[in-house]
Amino acid sequence: MNEESGRYVYCIIKSPGEKKSFGNIGFGGQEVYTLEYRDFAPVVSNAAVKKYEASDEEVELHRKVVEQVMKEHSVLPVSYGMAFKNKKLLLIAMSVGYKAMKKAMNEVDNRVELGVKLFLPKENATWDGKEKCRSVFLDALKKKAVQSKELKLFSERLILNTSFLIDRDKINDFSGEVEQLGNKYQDIKIQYSGPWPPYNFVDIQILSRKRGGFR
Amino acid sequence: MFIIDDILLRQLGITIPGLSLVWTLEQIRDFAYKELYNPEKIKNKIKENRLLFEFGELTSGEYEKNNAKLLQELKLAERGTEMNLSVRTDILRAR
Repeated sequence: MNEESGRYVYCIIKSPGEKKSFGNIGFGGQEVYTLEYRDFAPVVSNAAVKKYEASDEEVELHRKVVEQVMKEHSVLPVSYGMAFKNKKLLLIAMSVGYKAMKKAMNEVDNRVELGVKLFLPKENATWDGKEKCRSVFLDALKKKAVQSKELKLFSERLILNTSFLIDRDKINDFSGEVEQLGNKYQDIKIQYSGPWPPYNFVDIQILSRKRGGFR
Repeated sequence: MFIIDDILLRQLGITIPGLSLVWTLEQIRDFAYKELYNPEKIKNKIKENRLLFEFGELTSGEYEKNNAKLLQELKLAERGTEMNLSVRTDILRAR
C-alpha cells in the first residue's frame, strides 16, 4: 500500500464547504487537508497504512495538528494511529459513524475541554483536609461547566483529576473561579491546562477496530 | 521431577513442611512479580513522573532518566502479558 492511497485521520470538523488545507504539517511533512462527507469533513493527510508506534514525537505531531485545526473549528478528536487503506474505506466508516458524530458534534460544538489537577505537596502528603478540598473545587467548578469527567487518580498525592467541558465564551469565567479557589488553598499545587480538544467527552468507536469499526 | 512430585503429593492431600514453605515462598514471589510487572501500575508511574516534572519537583534530566526506565519496564510488562508469562517476565529482562 503506498502513501498516495492511504489516509491518516487527525480529527473531524463540520464541513467548511470546500477543501481546506492546513499546510504541510502532517506525518512525513504531508499536507493536512479536509475531505467531504455530507456536513462533516475528516481532516487527513496522505499516509501509508502501518502500525503507528506511540512514540512521544509522533503522538505530539498528531496533537499539534488537532490543536492547529481547533483554533478555527470545533473538532471531534480521533485517536492517534487511525489510518485507512484508501479514501473509499474512510468514507464508508464516516457513513457508518455519521449518526454518532452528529450527536457528538451537538455536544461539543463551540466548547473546549479544560483540565484541573490538584496535587498535595511532598511535605504534606497525608493532609486530612483533602476530601473537603476536593469537594469544594468540584462543586464550584461543576457549576461553571457543561459537563465534567473525573479521571483516574494515578498518584497517591493526586486528590483531583477532572476534565471540564466549557463553552468557549465562558473560559475566562471558569479560569477566574480556578484562580479564586487556588487562592483559598494556597498550599495545594494546581495544574490548570487547556483548552484541549474534547478528548474526554467524545467517544466514537466507529473509526476504530473496537466494536466492529473498520479501517 | 521435584515439581511433579510436589503436585502429585498435593493432589493426594499430602503436604510436606519443607515443600509447603517453598510453595508459599513461590506464591509470594509470584505476587511480587505481578505487582512489579503490572502495566497499569507502570502507566500510573509514568504519569506521576511527568506531573512531578511539570510541578518542578524533578529536573528534566531526572524526568528523562525515570521515563526511559519506566517505558522499558512497560514494554517488558506488556510483552509478558501478551505472552502470558506474567510471573516469568524476569526471563525477558535478562535478555
